[in-house]
Amino acid sequence: MDDIMSASLQALNLLFSGDTQVWRIISVSFSVSLKAILIATLPAIALAFVLAYYTFPGRRLVITLFNTALAIPAVVVGLTLYLLLSRSGPFGELHLLFTQDAMVIGQIILCFPLLVAMSHASLQSSDQRAWETAITLGASPFYAAITVLKEVRFGLMAAVIAAFGRIIAEVGSSMMVGGNILNHTRNIPTAIALETSKGSFVQGIALGMVLLTMALLLNFVLTGVQGKGEVIH
Amino acid sequence: MDNWSVRFNNIGLKRGSRVVLNGVDIQLSNAELVLMTGQNGSGKSTLLKILAGLLKPEQAYISLSPHNGQQLEHNWSRMRRVLRQRVCYLHQQPYLFHGSVFDNVAYGLKRKGLSGEQIKQQVSRMLEEFSLQDLINRDCRELSGGEKQRVAIVRSWITQPDIILLDEPFSNMDKESRRKCYTLINHLCRDNIALVLTSHDPLSGELDFTQHIHLYQGKITHKTPNIKSK
Repeated sequence: MDDIMSASLQALNLLFSGDTQVWRIISVSFSVSLKAILIATLPAIALAFVLAYYTFPGRRLVITLFNTALAIPAVVVGLTLYLLLSRSGPFGELHLLFTQDAMVIGQIILCFPLLVAMSHASLQSSDQRAWETAITLGASPFYAAITVLKEVRFGLMAAVIAAFGRIIAEVGSSMMVGGNILNHTRNIPTAIALETSKGSFVQGIALGMVLLTMALLLNFVLTGVQGKGEVIH
Repeated sequence: MDNWSVRFNNIGLKRGSRVVLNGVDIQLSNAELVLMTGQNGSGKSTLLKILAGLLKPEQAYISLSPHNGQQLEHNWSRMRRVLRQRVCYLHQQPYLFHGSVFDNVAYGLKRKGLSGEQIKQQVSRMLEEFSLQDLINRDCRELSGGEKQRVAIVRSWITQPDIILLDEPFSNMDKESRRKCYTLINHLCRDNIALVLTSHDPLSGELDFTQHIHLYQGKITHKTPNIKSK
């Protein structure tokens, strides 16, 4: 117990002393995951809207595929991407393996199905009258879609936060396609895995604290926004 | 005030093997107040959504005159955009967007590209005209059923449509709310707008209907033009 307390205090000290290596790892983590979520969010929500509001052949199959993709382990995504990006792979000439760009691609693949599935669930439970009302008040189909998205914004925000939570904490894909290179592709989860395997817990605990603080802050933001919404009782 | 008329011919819709609407013909012109009656499931709401350009029928032919100075005749698909511009539909339980009464009433005006100041003035004037000014900053979730209905009617009217379709506007409304809605509807009729109201009960007395249409199993079984001369 004393060891854990002592390691935690050292971890706090490491964070507040502004250790360059630790903060570089944190910045890689946030940079990669923010890029991935920013790239994935708009197309995922647009696709979720199409799946919720339009009928076309194969629609149910697409929904099933995205729901199935929720369960794909990060390490499988990493492996597939590794094979595609390695020198002998079809995209080897792009020289993306062991770069932050490859990590971004992996995280997009991981968060996209979650964004689509959760946004689709929100939109499906939205009130059909919102769309009809917007149209009948003179909105174009595009603006009516924006109106519907605004009406379900809490569900969409929850989807984005859940997706961000998934990718910022994933190890498998980042480790395989990033290579865990210090100051270049080492992010929080891969650093925690490495430091723990070396038996050095201080840095791992410090980085774990950052992840937990971030999760807490994101949920405070979501709860704060939803707090302005309707309450049941 | 401009005179116009629109004719919907041979409206038909099936859902699976069930015929929802069969060969329905309706003609509407400015300043008309039409009562559409029929039992639950007779196709009233479906018909209104088709008239509003929200629901695609299997067949329907529409003739509108004048539209930009000429007569326009096409099938429903080609007329959908025009219908959406000129017809406004209100659900039985009107949907109000998240936000205040102001946000809701201003919605249609924002789509028309008016400036913030113009929108503010028009919304305030309109709410005042219908004694709803006290509600302007109220969150729509706090409104009563009757207030919601009146706000929704004003929100439609402010976009200046030619036709407003009201789906069972008086259901679940107390006597006082009904009275306020009657006043509002009579006011709209003086403004050259055509109104179509559906009801599963015949409404009596309070409103000066110009047509009564009765639907039974997707067909018009009874049509009385000019019930009262306006």
